[in-house]
Amino acid sequence: MVEKEYRHIGKSYLRKEGQEKVTGQAMYIHDLELPGMLHAKLLHSPHARAKILSIDTSKAKALPGVKAVLVGEDAPYLVGLYMIDKRIIARDEVRYQGEVVAAVAAIDEVTAEKAVSLIEVEYEVLPAVHTIDEALEGKILVHEDINDLDYMKGVFFPQPDSNIASWNTTKKGDIEKGFAEADLIVENEFTLPAVAHAPMETHVSVAQADPYSNKLKVWSSSQSPFTLRDMLAKAFNIPRKDIEVVIPYIGGGFGGKAGIHIEPLVAVLSKAAKGRPVKLKMTREEEFNQLPTRAGMRGRIKTGVKKNGKITAFQAYYDWDSGAYADYGVNVGKTAVYSGGGGYEIENAEIHSRTLYTNKVFSTAYRGFGHLETHWSVERQMDIIAQKLGMDPFELRMKNILKPGSRTLSGEVIYQHTGSPSECLEAVAKEIGWTGYQTKEERLEQFKTGKVRGKGIALLQKAPAMPTNTSTGAIMQMDEDGGVKLMIGAVDMGQGVNTAMAQIAAEELDIPVEKVEVSWEINSDKHPYDWNTVASKYTLMGGNAVKKAAQDMLRQMKEVAAQVFRAHIEELAHKDGYIYHIKHPDKKIPYNKLSRGYVFENGNAIGGPLISHGVYTASGLTNLDPETGEGLPALAWTFGAHGVEIEVDVETGEITVLKMASAFDAGKVINKKLVDGQVIGGVLQGIGSAILEGYKFSSDGTLLNPSFTDNKIPTAKDAPLEVVPIYIENEQVDGPYGARGVAEHPMISVPSAVGNALYDATGINFHSLPLSPENVALRIAENK
Amino acid sequence: MLSKFDYYKPKSIKEALDYLDNNDETRILAGGTDLMILLRRNAITCKHILDIKAIPEIQRFDYKNGEGLYIGAGVNVNQIVDSEIIEEKYPALHQAAASLASYQLRNRATLVGNICNASPGGDLPPVLLVYDAEVHIIGPEGEKMVNIKDFFLGVKKTILKDNEIVLGVLLPDVEEGDNSVYLKQSRLKGHDLATVGVAARRNNENKISLAIAAVAPIPLKLTELEDVINEKGLSNDLPDWVEGEIKKYISPISDVRSSKEYRIHISGVLAKRALQTLIEKEVN
Amino acid sequence: MCGEHGNNCFVHVDSGLPPVGLKCVVNGEEIQACVDPTMTLLNFLRNELKLFGTKEGCGEGECGACTIIMNGETVNSCIILAVEADGAEILTVEGLAKDGELSILQQEFIKMDALQCGFCTPGMLMSARALLDRNPNPSEEEIKEALAGNFCRCTGYIPIIDAVKSAAKREREELK
Repeated sequence: MVEKEYRHIGKSYLRKEGQEKVTGQAMYIHDLELPGMLHAKLLHSPHARAKILSIDTSKAKALPGVKAVLVGEDAPYLVGLYMIDKRIIARDEVRYQGEVVAAVAAIDEVTAEKAVSLIEVEYEVLPAVHTIDEALEGKILVHEDINDLDYMKGVFFPQPDSNIASWNTTKKGDIEKGFAEADLIVENEFTLPAVAHAPMETHVSVAQADPYSNKLKVWSSSQSPFTLRDMLAKAFNIPRKDIEVVIPYIGGGFGGKAGIHIEPLVAVLSKAAKGRPVKLKMTREEEFNQLPTRAGMRGRIKTGVKKNGKITAFQAYYDWDSGAYADYGVNVGKTAVYSGGGGYEIENAEIHSRTLYTNKVFSTAYRGFGHLETHWSVERQMDIIAQKLGMDPFELRMKNILKPGSRTLSGEVIYQHTGSPSECLEAVAKEIGWTGYQTKEERLEQFKTGKVRGKGIALLQKAPAMPTNTSTGAIMQMDEDGGVKLMIGAVDMGQGVNTAMAQIAAEELDIPVEKVEVSWEINSDKHPYDWNTVASKYTLMGGNAVKKAAQDMLRQMKEVAAQVFRAHIEELAHKDGYIYHIKHPDKKIPYNKLSRGYVFENGNAIGGPLISHGVYTASGLTNLDPETGEGLPALAWTFGAHGVEIEVDVETGEITVLKMASAFDAGKVINKKLVDGQVIGGVLQGIGSAILEGYKFSSDGTLLNPSFTDNKIPTAKDAPLEVVPIYIENEQVDGPYGARGVAEHPMISVPSAVGNALYDATGINFHSLPLSPENVALRIAENK
Repeated sequence: MLSKFDYYKPKSIKEALDYLDNNDETRILAGGTDLMILLRRNAITCKHILDIKAIPEIQRFDYKNGEGLYIGAGVNVNQIVDSEIIEEKYPALHQAAASLASYQLRNRATLVGNICNASPGGDLPPVLLVYDAEVHIIGPEGEKMVNIKDFFLGVKKTILKDNEIVLGVLLPDVEEGDNSVYLKQSRLKGHDLATVGVAARRNNENKISLAIAAVAPIPLKLTELEDVINEKGLSNDLPDWVEGEIKKYISPISDVRSSKEYRIHISGVLAKRALQTLIEKEVN
Repeated sequence: MCGEHGNNCFVHVDSGLPPVGLKCVVNGEEIQACVDPTMTLLNFLRNELKLFGTKEGCGEGECGACTIIMNGETVNSCIILAVEADGAEILTVEGLAKDGELSILQQEFIKMDALQCGFCTPGMLMSARALLDRNPNPSEEEIKEALAGNFCRCTGYIPIIDAVKSAAKREREELK
């Protein structure tokens, strides 16, 4: 196959907004000031579960400068994307320590904070649901009204009179037969704690709600301009046309700013404050303690294998400690039923994924959601199976890996163009010099030095988790210079979507990339629709929409040029900013002469301003069968693998990541520099989950580490000494130039690879994250 | 921050002491790296802030042969890190200072603040303990020198009275051949509080001093263990022996930063490594 | 204007306490103000001087987003009182570019893709600037030490470390 030469695709253009960001000019909501703007502060529940007996706001209301004080009764709205269960302000009952109990808007932050301190609440503390087992037991219900909650039907399955927000299942083949055929059955339990997204900019929103009409304008640090508009409309029961959502630069999201968060609360405050704009900027403590997390999870896995390594049966119970609300969390749990077996062909499978309510801060999407968690279980399990079989874990993986002709858990057939997990795994194994586990003797020899090294590999996969009809649009307009203004509905939060889309537009139109300007600051009144900036879906979907918009623009130009040349449109082509006649290439018109229509010498004009659009809707996706999990959930699978070499201090338990090789079948890399950024950044986030991060709760459900003092994220000193990104390019047939998404994937399976390397180094299998110095050292000491 | 305070920046000690005497609920501000966080979290409130940075005496930072090292209350931690004389004469102090917080925080944080804050896990107190440092305090009754081991009373509690100011800390002079080391375990490689911190010193007479942070309500000087060690004398087996032995002298708790078990384990490891460093230096 | 402290004097009365006079130089410009004694330096820069480049990430001196250079050294401006800056010389991200041209450090941040969301970038640049001022030829370890007080959740730091390295090299060459 001859590699196609592109003008812009595959080139490492620098990000378009770099200059604004290094000069301090880039404006975030954090920086937004509006005339008459008020500031909000919140009162939080000190208890994990309690009845609110009374709230006295009279002193707060009497404080000069206070413009609005709200409690649950004032905001009786339920919000949520998939499960409509989230309260804007707690009413009657609090469900987690940190939940909002009252909100104040005042002339400045100091006054608002003072007013909050004057609110008196009387609670009756109730016993709470702290653990997965207590949630499953169901003696106490986190939501006593679970039977009445609204949700996306047919996709999620809340269980009556329980704490199970959704129970999703996979049933493939004959699990009994599969286990009967097995030579070996391996059972393990793996756990990981809740983890914070920790974007550097905390959640922040400004809202202005017209007290005399439904008009509402919201500025928010959000990944979801249109989903946010949608959910505000549903919550307040107002038309979407009355809501305007504006999103400028946002200081990191990672899934935590998808969906709906503090926006409705700020809107209600603004309305109560007679329509003055209200700003609510969350403190770091609130970011940890009131805003959502990645759920903790417990995976119980049972695998049947033949002596030759072939998997005959796979059974898993994935239980998600989703906290007090599951509005987005149920969708995290759902991913397990079609991806929770990892990138392997499994003929007989049974998976139960239960998203559980507990009295803790609630969970939501977090980069590669559902996958880092299930892959922690699956990829560790693969290594343990290999150990029991006396097989090289690389060989075991290759024996079962998805390849053309294989079927996924949900029954989807894999083709060459789906991507190649085996090429990824081979690439990382080669890069780290994988030759199998070291021997016991080698390990003992290393232990004498006090530092042991080990290598590990892990496979990963993910497809966007999104509704079957997810869609996006792009609008393109040409100016008199032949420059192009492109409007899309995705939020560039640093992943580089605007730069990549400019490359695609410039490629299609065959013009310099500098001629394309992607319009920043998404405004739902002006920009075209996009579902959510999530799921690593935009390169494929948005890229196609932008391509189509460019093609539509070329068609419009050719239609006008055809009249000018008195030629058939089929006889015209485009190149380097000109429309020309293929037979008489000297007959050509520059784009800018067509941008406002074409004017003949005598003054006659034809055509008109060049405005085009393109749309893309996911096609062929189906909801999964409620019983078996069968269906087509995947817009595109992106496969990948990590290979890691670590060094462990056997006494302190400290892990140093010496080298991480990460390979992804990206289909086609649009901009290597930007994708490298996703890989290196994602790997370090994964290392954070692997060896450092995690929520800690007291026995009464109080979050013990709601600050960067005790809920650390990796620093420059914690970065791996070397990260080697590797790209495999099996083109996606329906991706733009063959591209598919890769932004979330670098984080997935990083903990698994580190855990596997830790076994290679120490001979000990770890089942729980984080692999902190404490956890590692104590296990090594125990095993001495 | 709910506190409403006014701000006073005296130019002399007398002005500062007078102010403290006349204004209840005053907090002394030097680097502010602990104070500002406590105020922001409303963990404390105050009515007055007394910024001592303009008092000339607290900037004193010198080493005098025969007298020792004096570090004034206005000296920040990076000044300590950058001091060549400290690195040479009091290596554990250099190491502890370099391990404390982030670079920009060290530009504000002070050694005196670190002891006045009296956090059980502070990095610098164990070093001061092994050097038998004296805390230089001034109050309405005059000046006094208090041994560092008598300074701490409990978590966030010291003997300092509301009308007193710590002017500085004196580390007695060291003889040729004196050596020390500070080792710390934390949760990540980046800046963090000590899970456990161990300071060890070997003086020119081969006497060992050991102090440890984050295993008790106050930083501990392990005097009983020191006695046993010094009775045994230095040997190549000593570090391994101390690794096990130290566990008899500490009773840490479990908290959000570490379990009790790990604190016990890592105390042994750090003490062992600290002694290895001090003894190996001799052999080489 | 409060009238007591000169012409460019801001009055901001949050606490009802008498404002305190403050003179300082920010990015080369002389500033006179009277501020509420409880106001942080970060809030003074942002809310009063409208220099929004400096960010707040935690308000507790842990994350470094608010890092500025005060009297030649980096500090977390979120845990310093504005009044403590009396007499100080302050440099913020807005003061890095000169005469409409980006500094070498800023250029290298762009070139190495040392930023994604950009929220930590101003603080990161200030820590890097102060490092290169005191040590024009830092080792990788020294760069990491100098930047470890600035959290970044996007980049994984490696491109930032590379940008500081290449900026150091270019700055040294320029001095030759």
